[in-house]
Amino acid sequence: MRISTWSLGCALLVLGAVGAASAQEGHPLKGSWIGTWESNETHGEFVLVVLDWDGERVSGIINPGTDNIEIAEATLDPAEWAVRIEADAEDRDGNAVHYMIEGTIEDLELPNRFITGTWQHDGGSGAFEIRRQ
Amino acid sequence: MTKAHMYSHSTAAMLATALLALAPETTFAHHPIHGKFDPASDLTLSGVVTYVDWRNPHAHIFMNVGQGDETLNWAVELESPIDLEANGWSEATVRPGDAITVAGIVARDGTRQIWGDSIVRSDSGSRVFEVSLEAPPPPLAPRPAPRWPDGRAALGGTADAIDGYWSFPSATALVEDGVDVTMNSSGLLENLDDAGSVAPMQPWALALYRHRQNRSLRDDPMYLNCKPPGGPRQYMSHHGFQLIEDRERERVFVLLGSGNRNYRIIYLDGREHVGQVGGDDDNPLYYGRSVGNWEGDTLVVDTRGFNEDFWFTSGGLPHTSQLRLIERFTRADLETLEYEVTIEDPGAYTRSWTSSWTLRWVGGEDLPFHLCQHNRP
Repeated sequence: MRISTWSLGCALLVLGAVGAASAQEGHPLKGSWIGTWESNETHGEFVLVVLDWDGERVSGIINPGTDNIEIAEATLDPAEWAVRIEADAEDRDGNAVHYMIEGTIEDLELPNRFITGTWQHDGGSGAFEIRRQ
Repeated sequence: MTKAHMYSHSTAAMLATALLALAPETTFAHHPIHGKFDPASDLTLSGVVTYVDWRNPHAHIFMNVGQGDETLNWAVELESPIDLEANGWSEATVRPGDAITVAGIVARDGTRQIWGDSIVRSDSGSRVFEVSLEAPPPPLAPRPAPRWPDGRAALGGTADAIDGYWSFPSATALVEDGVDVTMNSSGLLENLDDAGSVAPMQPWALALYRHRQNRSLRDDPMYLNCKPPGGPRQYMSHHGFQLIEDRERERVFVLLGSGNRNYRIIYLDGREHVGQVGGDDDNPLYYGRSVGNWEGDTLVVDTRGFNEDFWFTSGGLPHTSQLRLIERFTRADLETLEYEVTIEDPGAYTRSWTSSWTLRWVGGEDLPFHLCQHNRP
């Protein structure tokens, strides 16, 4: 399911009501992230990502509540703060879509740090940027 | 610079404390000085005082300085009023109109701010606002710890013994026992290559620790946002803490002299970790949830349920919400509290590890009234 402008607006409203990004001094990927995957005609341009860290692996979900795309694998290379996320989803016709997202964490020291890079699947690709909320 | 690594026996700890107090580069400031001010940019200014701002967490003197054809106003940052007053200084030590010469290091952001390493009155040539927090000399023979009627050592005051608080920690940043690295009192390593020795960090945690060190600890949320000094950090401030034993209700209150004068409760009544805060046991806290028991004269405390919104030590070692602390408090004698903490955090470390240090008793005094306030630097 494509995430709608309306639902994104609701999410932003809720997050906005909470205020600025809460501090997060633990694993840099843990938290809720909002941003865009540009030119994504399969799941829309706006994206929500929730990531967690259990001490051994990063897990998470993309567009919770709408697309509910479980993250199959996510890694962080702390040498370059490089992030790689893979996830399997379906397009509107039920065809399998495999996402590959690659980027780096910027403004690492800030609560509202962001990840910038690219996304791609068999049917498209584009710029990817999400900021921690 | 001073060695932050601690030795558990008291003689070494006293020596370390004395060295810490005498080291010329040691500061006790609210924020890591080198995070805000650049140690490579020395400057000496002479001018006239225009205003004295005597407020926590740092006092400031403003002065007009003639530079070329201009007269520019500079802010001179000093230690906290608490520490200045403890050394005999006051808001009236210098007044508007007094001529002074300031030597120090300037702000990294290019603003007209200088950390006042040395301030000399032009009229008398006397140096003012020097701060030394040297611990009082230990007694020639240790005096025994005060005891409750049942014979157990008291961690604080008793009905019959004078009250006070614990201060002069022999360590100001967390380092695994047995590791010998050199860092300043803010936990800034002298050699960044030592980072991997400080504690058994996972790769991401080590990289984050190095990043924080590389930025001279300027991102420390305790200083930026007045976040509480949760975890072992609460026992590493020279503003100290008080241990109040409520024996009737089987709990120990930890009252902090630093941060925002927070407190923490250690329950000794046999309760479980869950459901201690209004049943909201899923809500992680800055100080976690603590239960404890006595092993002879040692209070053993098990604390879990930490959030990730703070640094649990100076120097920037990371932790996660999986952090669990086993703390051991032992009053070895009247003047000495031995503190040992075992850190278990499989989210950030590859194994559990232990650090220990000592604190000195400050009898007959209340905790310093230090507040991180005013949204000031």
